[in-house]
Amino acid sequence: MSTSHAAFGSVRLTEDQVLLRDAVRVLADERVAPRAAAIDRDAAWPDDIRKLLADHDIFAIPFAEQYGGLGSDLLTLVLAIEQLSRACATTGLILAVQSLGAQPIVDAGTDAQKERWLPDLAAGRKLVAFALTEADAGSDPSGIRTRAERDGDEYVVRGSKRFISHGSVADLVVVFAVTNPDAAKPSRRLSAIVVETDRPGFSVARLEHKMGIKGSPTAELSFDGVRVPVSNRLGEEGEGFGIAMRTFERSRPGIAAQAVGIAQGALEVAARYAKERVQFGKPIADLQMVQAMLADMDAGVEAARHLLYSACQEIEAGTPEAARWAAIAKLVAGDTAMRVTTDAVQVLGGYGYIDDYPVERMMRDAKITQLYEGTQQIQRLIVARSLLSRS
Amino acid sequence: MPPVILVVAEVAAGHLARLSTEAATFARDLAAEAGGSVLGVIVDSDPGVAAGELAAYLPRVVAVTAPSIATELPAPHILTEVRRLVDEGVTHVVLGASVDGRDVAGALVAFTGWGYLANADSAAWSGEAPVMTSNVLAGKAVVHSTLATAKGVLTVRPMSVTAAEAGAVGVVEARSASGEPAIPAVVVLDRVTEGGAAVSLEEARVVVTGGRGVGSIEGFAVVEDLADALGGVVGASRAAVDAGWIPYARQVGQTGRIVKPALYLSLGVSGAMQHRVGMQNSETIVAVNKDPDAPMAEVADLFVIGDLFEVAPALAAEIRSRRS
Amino acid sequence: MRILVLAKPVPDTAVAAERMGADMRVDRTAAPNVVNGNDEYALEAALQLVEAHGGEVAILTMAPANGVETMRKALAMGAMRGVLVTDEALAGADVPTTIRALAAAAKTEEFDLLLTGLFTSDGGGGAVAAGVAALLGLPMLSGAAHIDPDPAAGRVKVRRLTDNGYDLVEAPMPAVISGTQALGTPRYPSLKGIMAARSRSIRQLSLADLGPDIAPADGAWTSTVLGFDPPPARTAGRVVNLPADAAAREIADFLADRRII
Repeated sequence: MSTSHAAFGSVRLTEDQVLLRDAVRVLADERVAPRAAAIDRDAAWPDDIRKLLADHDIFAIPFAEQYGGLGSDLLTLVLAIEQLSRACATTGLILAVQSLGAQPIVDAGTDAQKERWLPDLAAGRKLVAFALTEADAGSDPSGIRTRAERDGDEYVVRGSKRFISHGSVADLVVVFAVTNPDAAKPSRRLSAIVVETDRPGFSVARLEHKMGIKGSPTAELSFDGVRVPVSNRLGEEGEGFGIAMRTFERSRPGIAAQAVGIAQGALEVAARYAKERVQFGKPIADLQMVQAMLADMDAGVEAARHLLYSACQEIEAGTPEAARWAAIAKLVAGDTAMRVTTDAVQVLGGYGYIDDYPVERMMRDAKITQLYEGTQQIQRLIVARSLLSRS
Repeated sequence: MPPVILVVAEVAAGHLARLSTEAATFARDLAAEAGGSVLGVIVDSDPGVAAGELAAYLPRVVAVTAPSIATELPAPHILTEVRRLVDEGVTHVVLGASVDGRDVAGALVAFTGWGYLANADSAAWSGEAPVMTSNVLAGKAVVHSTLATAKGVLTVRPMSVTAAEAGAVGVVEARSASGEPAIPAVVVLDRVTEGGAAVSLEEARVVVTGGRGVGSIEGFAVVEDLADALGGVVGASRAAVDAGWIPYARQVGQTGRIVKPALYLSLGVSGAMQHRVGMQNSETIVAVNKDPDAPMAEVADLFVIGDLFEVAPALAAEIRSRRS
Repeated sequence: MRILVLAKPVPDTAVAAERMGADMRVDRTAAPNVVNGNDEYALEAALQLVEAHGGEVAILTMAPANGVETMRKALAMGAMRGVLVTDEALAGADVPTTIRALAAAAKTEEFDLLLTGLFTSDGGGGAVAAGVAALLGLPMLSGAAHIDPDPAAGRVKVRRLTDNGYDLVEAPMPAVISGTQALGTPRYPSLKGIMAARSRSIRQLSLADLGPDIAPADGAWTSTVLGFDPPPARTAGRVVNLPADAAAREIADFLADRRII
């Protein structure tokens, strides 16, 4: 009982996609990779990297041309995130989060709102964060408590968001807050509201110290009576949840791309190491057990990559199963990245455990891809639901 | 017809440029092999001293006084005099591969259509024409090429030929510059000195080079101290120059200076091909690098695996203590 | 300002992509070719000049037909147009022919400055710029570290590096300028540049388009390559792996043996 998707052919990248991918790869290898270890060690926001991405129009990739973007499709964005993540997971995330945060505006914003906010985001002049999660509302958004109370032609936002990527460096935060506490359906309680972070009452309450992606600031944000004009709301009141879900259809592939990139980077380090490391009189790459590991790693990365690229094409083509494709790509990629990076450390043996080699960092970085933008468990629920409704 | 080989010599700070002694030796040897004759030309606002020095290398030197060179770039004036000598029977023109040398060579080739052999490391005469050897492609290959025409232009790479005096002092013939240059003059508004080395990189007996491993402007103090202990000058790899730790004038390599000192000691230089092209003919090469796989190991006579910030000061101290 | 940049595609020395054909010529159809390093600096200088003074940069290249790809790289950095001189009869062209061809092609363009690198990484001759300047009757300002045009006055000042500083030289425009890496680090092409480059025009000129007397009538070049050898190997040296003080003594002994200290 297969799904009835029409396109079952292999993915062929267009000339433009190849050009863009290769240009990002060069930048990643030459300018990002040398910074990766320090970004992890310093655990501080690398604004030089932000500037680098802005200067090279990397931020422009997912935005429409009329806003100064390149007007590229989802697959192109994914190619860029993958190449950046191969060098540095934090850097790949910079592009992914910008796209994630902007997506609600793209999805539900009026032309005036898009004009107002998107050009700065496309240029990388301003950063945007996506604030859905709260201390008691992770996988379960019904726990969201942040309120946006209408007062004349303003909303007053009160509450707190947790684990918000880029929360401390963003100029704009898309906040999912309760505007309709008495809505009949729980999924109609929320609205998406853009909050500029220079408004009084907004503050960064804490920054998390994380296992990985250490250069990416993960913040707890406090909204203490922040007033924003009603014109900052995206879409209608009560549409917030729908906006968030639609956003994930386009942002989860970005996380999958980060995962594939991390895995690819780890695979390359392991393969190179295996050729150079001599034990028992020969390179360990000659040992079958090592070859088997490397082969499984390569097969895993290739499979995750192709599934991801197919998912992008399906989503871009407007498939009604976009949620399923996004979930399945993110599920496979995240689990693959964790497995491949763990095996990469194994191939390097003791050297894999010390920070002279990047694989320990890659393993720490990979873990988050199984956790954020929907845990792997949530992804499985989505895939299962889709499968069962089809059969 | 036996060839008449003309060496175009240059003046540096009033004296004969070192590269010109190499070019003169090169041309003289070539002429001897070919059974031809050799002469030199110096065109300068005050050529006397340099012409006298060149006469130690060549049997005949034409010293042309061109007052304009005091305030203009020399190439246009040199070209006019070279063409004059070509009209008088010169068949081959040899120049040092300097910036001015290439300017004259290019213009001469443009006007005459003669063949051009560039950056010769050495040459021999074979039959009717010179065969030259040059390393190309950032040092990855050595090419042998020859002229297919009876006349031609050759440039000689710096620090490839060992200069040797002729044994007899040649005749110097003085002339005045003849008329307007055939190519447009370029005015020199100012000559600015920016505190370079007292001894230039090319002249130094010892060069101590700092590379990426030096890490900062301050790090170069260690390089300078070791250079001082050895009586040498400080050089730099391109990585150090690009990072802004030391001026481009100190760069050794394909896009910088070519050096051939008695001792080349590198600190934290990985030894990329484009750098090695600039120093691989040094008599003795010592390299200090943390990375045992650095390409520099391929050319070093002594490759020291270690931290330059420990080894260099220890070495400087050791040298100083032995001296006393 | 109108700036024409003379750029040569060369084998990418970093990836050792050079291949010698059986006819002893570098196989320039083998990818990947890159813009000659020194020409990239000149291109960067040109782009900065038009950013400061307005105007546009065009690229002039003589190459086999695949020169178009390398030109796209230069266009992606910000040049607006390309002129490609390409003809099978020019394969393996000698320096005098190259000079004549490029001068003839440059005559079809209007420019205030013709910029190029000091020499190329694949043959290093460095004379082409001066030859082109001579045939065009233009001043040649070589070895530039800094370029300062005055478009209103129609003159350009250049700093030419010397051993211990620089000479400040000046000439009327149009002028030919060659320079090295002191001109500034070449920018990476931005993605928008890469995308835009695909639709920028590249005008192709064949030998016939350049006029008479460019290549030798009998097809014989004025110089011939006889062969290539690998570079002379240096005998492997000694490796020392000791604590700093012991290493210092080893080195000092070594230098003393060689009478350097």
